[in-house]
Amino acid sequence: MSLQVVQNDTPNNPAINPADQVFKLEIDESKIAWLTFDYPGEKVNKFSAHVMAELNSVLDEINANKSIRCLIIKSAKKGIFIAGADVKEIMDILQDAEAAEISNMIKKVITNGVSTFNKLESLHCPSIAVIDGACMGGGLEMALACTYRVATDDSKTSLALPEVNLGIIPGWGGTQRLPKLVGLVQALPMILAGKKINGKKAFKMKLVDALIPREFMDERLSDFIEKVLSREGEKKIKIAREPRGFAVKLQKALLEDNPVGRNIVFNKAESGVIKKTAGKYPAPLAAIDVLKNTYNGNLKAGLAKETETFVDLTTRHTDICKNLVNLFFTMEGLKKDSQVIVDKAPKKVDVAGVLGAGVMGGGIGWLFSYKDIPVRMKDITWDAVAKGYEAANDVYKQLQKIRRLNTGQVNLKMHKITGTVDYSGFESADIIVEAIVENMDVKKAVLKELEEHVSSDTLIASNTSALSITEMQSVMKYPERFVGMHFFNPVNRMPLVEIIPGEQTSPETVKSLVEITKKLGKTAIVVGDCAGFLVNRILIPSMNEGLSMLEEGVDMERIDRAITHFGMPMGPFVLADEVGIDVAYKVAKILEEAYGERMTAPKFIAEMVDRQLWGKKVGKGFYIHKGKQREINESVKSIIGSNMNTSAVLDSQTMVDRFVYVMLNEACRCLEEKVIENPAYLDMAMITGTGFPPFRGGLLRYADSVGIQKVVDRMNELAQNYGERFQPVDLLTKMAREEKTFY
Amino acid sequence: MKQRLAIISGVRTPFCKAPGHMKGLKADDFGAYAVKELLHRSGVKVSDLDELIFGNVIQPTESANLARILAVKAGIPLSIPSYTVNRNCASGMEAITTSANKILSDEADSILCGGTESMSNGPVLFGEKMVNLLLKLKKAKSPGAMLSVLGGFRPNYLVPVIPGLVDPLCGLSMGQTAELLARDFKITRQEQDQFAVISHNRAEAAIKEGRFDGEIVPVPVPPKFKEMQTVDNGVRFGQTLADCTKLRPVFERVTGTVTAGNASQTTDGAAAMIIMREAKAKSLGLKPLGYLVDYAYAGLEPERMGMGPVFATAKLFEKASLKLEDFDLIEMNEAFAAQVIANERAFACNDYAKKHLGRDKALGEIDREIMNVNGGAIALGHPVGATGSRMVIHLLRELKRRGKKRGLATLCIGGGQGAALALEVN
Repeated sequence: MSLQVVQNDTPNNPAINPADQVFKLEIDESKIAWLTFDYPGEKVNKFSAHVMAELNSVLDEINANKSIRCLIIKSAKKGIFIAGADVKEIMDILQDAEAAEISNMIKKVITNGVSTFNKLESLHCPSIAVIDGACMGGGLEMALACTYRVATDDSKTSLALPEVNLGIIPGWGGTQRLPKLVGLVQALPMILAGKKINGKKAFKMKLVDALIPREFMDERLSDFIEKVLSREGEKKIKIAREPRGFAVKLQKALLEDNPVGRNIVFNKAESGVIKKTAGKYPAPLAAIDVLKNTYNGNLKAGLAKETETFVDLTTRHTDICKNLVNLFFTMEGLKKDSQVIVDKAPKKVDVAGVLGAGVMGGGIGWLFSYKDIPVRMKDITWDAVAKGYEAANDVYKQLQKIRRLNTGQVNLKMHKITGTVDYSGFESADIIVEAIVENMDVKKAVLKELEEHVSSDTLIASNTSALSITEMQSVMKYPERFVGMHFFNPVNRMPLVEIIPGEQTSPETVKSLVEITKKLGKTAIVVGDCAGFLVNRILIPSMNEGLSMLEEGVDMERIDRAITHFGMPMGPFVLADEVGIDVAYKVAKILEEAYGERMTAPKFIAEMVDRQLWGKKVGKGFYIHKGKQREINESVKSIIGSNMNTSAVLDSQTMVDRFVYVMLNEACRCLEEKVIENPAYLDMAMITGTGFPPFRGGLLRYADSVGIQKVVDRMNELAQNYGERFQPVDLLTKMAREEKTFY
Repeated sequence: MKQRLAIISGVRTPFCKAPGHMKGLKADDFGAYAVKELLHRSGVKVSDLDELIFGNVIQPTESANLARILAVKAGIPLSIPSYTVNRNCASGMEAITTSANKILSDEADSILCGGTESMSNGPVLFGEKMVNLLLKLKKAKSPGAMLSVLGGFRPNYLVPVIPGLVDPLCGLSMGQTAELLARDFKITRQEQDQFAVISHNRAEAAIKEGRFDGEIVPVPVPPKFKEMQTVDNGVRFGQTLADCTKLRPVFERVTGTVTAGNASQTTDGAAAMIIMREAKAKSLGLKPLGYLVDYAYAGLEPERMGMGPVFATAKLFEKASLKLEDFDLIEMNEAFAAQVIANERAFACNDYAKKHLGRDKALGEIDREIMNVNGGAIALGHPVGATGSRMVIHLLRELKRRGKKRGLATLCIGGGQGAALALEVN
């Protein structure tokens, strides 16, 4: 069961015509049955209810024909074996069915799959899944029910159980058959984290019985069938699945075959999940529970436990599932949306330039090089250029450490970067990203100078985090090719890039930038040119709110704890220390100038900046940082001084409400001002830009789930107690009046 | 040569003492940094290149045909072929003249060439006995057989072999060939040390006046990439004769005169340029750095390989009807101070010319004021595969700077050869 990696072209596809067959069954003269999966009108194969029903009857047909010696299951799609269950179908149930009905309906979907795959498993003849391309979720669960699996070593071939990413668990036998086949230690990361396995690795871990080069598919496959059909060959295949080698056997004996070892494995998995998710995501924990109770047990009982857990998960945590599935759909939608209407093809980017080799410039330089795009980094001095090289190298060292890249690959990618202190080589660049100091006058001067050294259609993007794109481009000769491209720090880890057209930016430029950003593997979201753009404009008020609470005398760690408990990856003070208090203050100042009182940061923060309490980079900020440890910096209290009301107490719900609703109010202003129009994109921007908890579906989705009227009431209350900034904006009050929701 | 060829733009990396802090860069990495920057600075489009030819002496074991590897690392399109040439210390010149030959035989219009060396990364090999043992071990099928092979192991098998130190033809190290010349020409230790001091002092002045700035491509320093290497680091500022006198002879410990101070330094570095038909340069609107007019290589006794310059220059003068007075500047590689002084003497000596060069008269007296005006390999270092290219680039730049016309670049080659290139600007 589960998601498709490649979204169908028409997300709301109507149910396919029942007359269109999904499966084609051919029986050749040597009595081999070839079953081809070919979902009509789609690029991918997926399991929906009627597909499952059809498979069921095909299996009956095969079972009835005792002359069939072997069943081969293939896909007719290029690069796809089976993408998984039809997520849309499950979503429809979660979304539309009455709460009481959900459990029954889900159960039906699950048991249909389970019984069909059971039927496949107990056919009178052996079955072989031929995996050439993506084999995801339900697709892999079907393959696991086959007697044998073969896979190609093609780069598209990938086997995974990504269900947890959607808040569910594998429900069609994945939690049962996978650990039985490959062992607990190998199965856990696949089930708990959706780890993808390529063909070669799958063969090595014995998830598939043969590795086949696609070019010799026919020959190798017929060899394999022959082997399967001979008693000796069959035995050989089964023996090959047994663990071999002392180390592997020892691991199995120590960690899998005895309860003490298993307990260690489960505990470690559990603490790993808790560490990664803060316990906010029930699916991986539910999966561990299933495995704990069923590993090494009877299949039938195991499947029953799996089904029960799946149904329980979707009924008890329907919202989380819905939120995660919706985000998945939004993400898939974003991949196809260039967010601007223009016919012209986007500009091809073969060569890039970066102005300014600081933290951001170095990170952006790294990103281009990582995607094998030659990039030239310019700064004023060679020492500054070295900083850029160093930043890129640091990221590569991390990637090497986690074995994502090897030494040779890193060397080649580092060579994509060149450094310069003049504009030599810039004339051949297709895009220049400016990442110099955040000062309007300097930026204007540099942009003017830059235009002298690039061709007239070179795209120029500014990585400013707050300055006006329209104002910057006003000094340019060809302003239409200029656009904001706001990366988040650190570039290698933050998926979001805000694309900000200024008044004179052409739609072609926007489209080109959106496509480049996607090519760089980031999420591009087009937003309006206002101070702070979208994400910082919404986020900064919440950080200010944190400061205000601190000033009122609320304990810093309590605030951070309440906010992380809500699901944010960091509380406001840890975040400020990470970002750099000087940097955050600079942005906050720009926003204060633009938006006035509601964005005013408490005065004491200026004093902190003066005293160089800049956060983690200098070792001292709100916290004192010693390596990975941190403790409260007591001197902050004395800076806040007499304003501080030492007896202030605030319950954590109020802290969260203040933190979230001040953001919500600003988000609604952004909608009113059309800084962004699509609420789903706004939510995605906050999730990818600030780490707003995905299980809550986003800021606006959260407001929907609380109830707009309730939100408005609470905000009015907060406005009375804490100030006008909480006064709900017109959009909210209107929505409450008209009983509307964002979605 | 049928016609002169244009040399478009030339750059080099800083020359860095080896083994040293640049060990993290392999020869192909050095080459790639030079080539990348050359492409950005020269204004030549890669699509206008027909080939890449690079010189290298100590070929890295992991990068056979390193020219191809550095070309791809530098972003040269995969469709452009490349190969490596090796004429020992003249490899960086061989790359230029091989390119010239290709162009003159109409096989190419424009070639990116240069030389590179990482003397920090020379291979260290197992000796023959150890290699045999490992081969036997590989063939051994049973644990018993393996044990019996391993039983044949002796600790002295681990003594490494460092290739390239001794010329197999004459059984002498390069330093010993220099000692031989010192004796032949009676060149004293003091004369050698004085020469070395001049080299350092001139290089120091050139660095201070920024005369290398335009040719040097700063290179990031691995493994941390925290800083850029922007200058040659072998030059000893304020070097005096007293500093040199302190050192002990390296190659003939008791009787010798050649020290680390009056010999070239082992160094990492690379240099690169583009050579093309003059007409092509014109049609592309490029302003050449200068021109290759003619060249000659000559062979001589391996044990006196240091005399290569005088042999090759004689051949060049003959071939191109040139004489010493035609040259405004000379770059003669400073493999050893003794070796350069020996050449000075041979250049000026009628007897030598008659006896060895088949000439009636000497080539002429070299004016030290026009030779190695900004220092040579004693101060800057001698990354063997790159030096030839560096000399050509620097000579042309210095001719331009001085408003002069013609220059001679010549060096000696281990194994008993010499190279001489006639170059000009305008």
